[in-house]
Amino acid sequence: MLKILVYAAVAILLAAGVTNAAEERSSIVYDGVSTEVTGSIDAAKNLWISMDDLKRATHFVVKPQGVCRDELCFPLPAKRQADFISKRGAVTWFNLTAFANLVKQPVVRDEKNAVWFFGKRADERGAFLASLEAPNFSLPDLNGKLHSLADYRGKKVLLITWASW
Amino acid sequence: MPGWQKFYHDLNNKNFEIISIAQDTGGAKAAAQWITAANPEYTALIDDKHLVTQLYNMVNVPTGVWINEKGLIVRPNEVAYVDNRFTGMHGIDAAPYLDAIRDWVEKGDRSQFVMKEQEVKERLKPPSQDRVTADAEFGLAEYLHKMGKAEDAVAHFKEAQRLDPDNWNYKRQAWALTDAEKNYGTSFGKEVQKLNGKPYYAPRQLPETKKP
Repeated sequence: MLKILVYAAVAILLAAGVTNAAEERSSIVYDGVSTEVTGSIDAAKNLWISMDDLKRATHFVVKPQGVCRDELCFPLPAKRQADFISKRGAVTWFNLTAFANLVKQPVVRDEKNAVWFFGKRADERGAFLASLEAPNFSLPDLNGKLHSLADYRGKKVLLITWASW
Repeated sequence: MPGWQKFYHDLNNKNFEIISIAQDTGGAKAAAQWITAANPEYTALIDDKHLVTQLYNMVNVPTGVWINEKGLIVRPNEVAYVDNRFTGMHGIDAAPYLDAIRDWVEKGDRSQFVMKEQEVKERLKPPSQDRVTADAEFGLAEYLHKMGKAEDAVAHFKEAQRLDPDNWNYKRQAWALTDAEKNYGTSFGKEVQKLNGKPYYAPRQLPETKKP
């Protein structure tokens, strides 16, 4: 009896191994923050992650009106839902690279270290060109205290970059 | 930085702030000694992800941007030296730029050095797709470097350099992090020589100061 159970367990593990062949522990860097997820990589090298991981790694959630974070919502093309969302067994997967393409966000990958880096969307990068409002940032001083450009509204600010190299 | 400290101190104007930002993957560790030595009264920040380089589409240091009281850019990216220590290399005299800042601090938007909205818009270009991808490659490379994968980072630093070849920040930062000759087959000195008379900085365009 015990033998049969062991065989059954091995068979289940093997089966799981086959269906999960393309799954790997991956790091997603999104908005500069790294999150460990279980990634599922399809033949077209798309990165699929679970809905839970989507929320953890990007703070985006899928809603009826689209893929949303706070006030920001990107509707998914009605005819291409299957390109973005796929249910397999108990897990619903989300295609994060297809979503990046949809919102014009660059994605680069280091295969060896299983790191996926998501850059800034084009709309984030060019927003100030129409308004000329200087892009805001929050950065630390030598003591680790954060300063935002917006804190200096009402003063003239000379921004100067430099480097030690 | 000591130059900017003296300039800021001498101006002594409550409605004017200098925000200097170190573009350094090495973070506080790399930048601290320079900041400590200058002991600035102005705001000195550390940007270990080159965020400002990306947000403002910069390609070099030192780059200056003038931002008025309403938070609007009134002079976009331009070379911003406070002294002539490196003039031998690039031929730029710091003095006219410092005079221009003094004029702006005194007169505000009425200063002749403040650009009209249209002129600022003509100078600012949306980042190309290659630039946006280069920023991501650079970000990935920095991430790997900080994770202790310096060798794996090199390929991504190179890709960022290939996609945005005029970006000196992306070249020089990468070369400084590891052995440039070994990993990139070059050095800053060699690359400057290759310019062969082409300017290292985009030429600064200040209107001629009207003599009283």
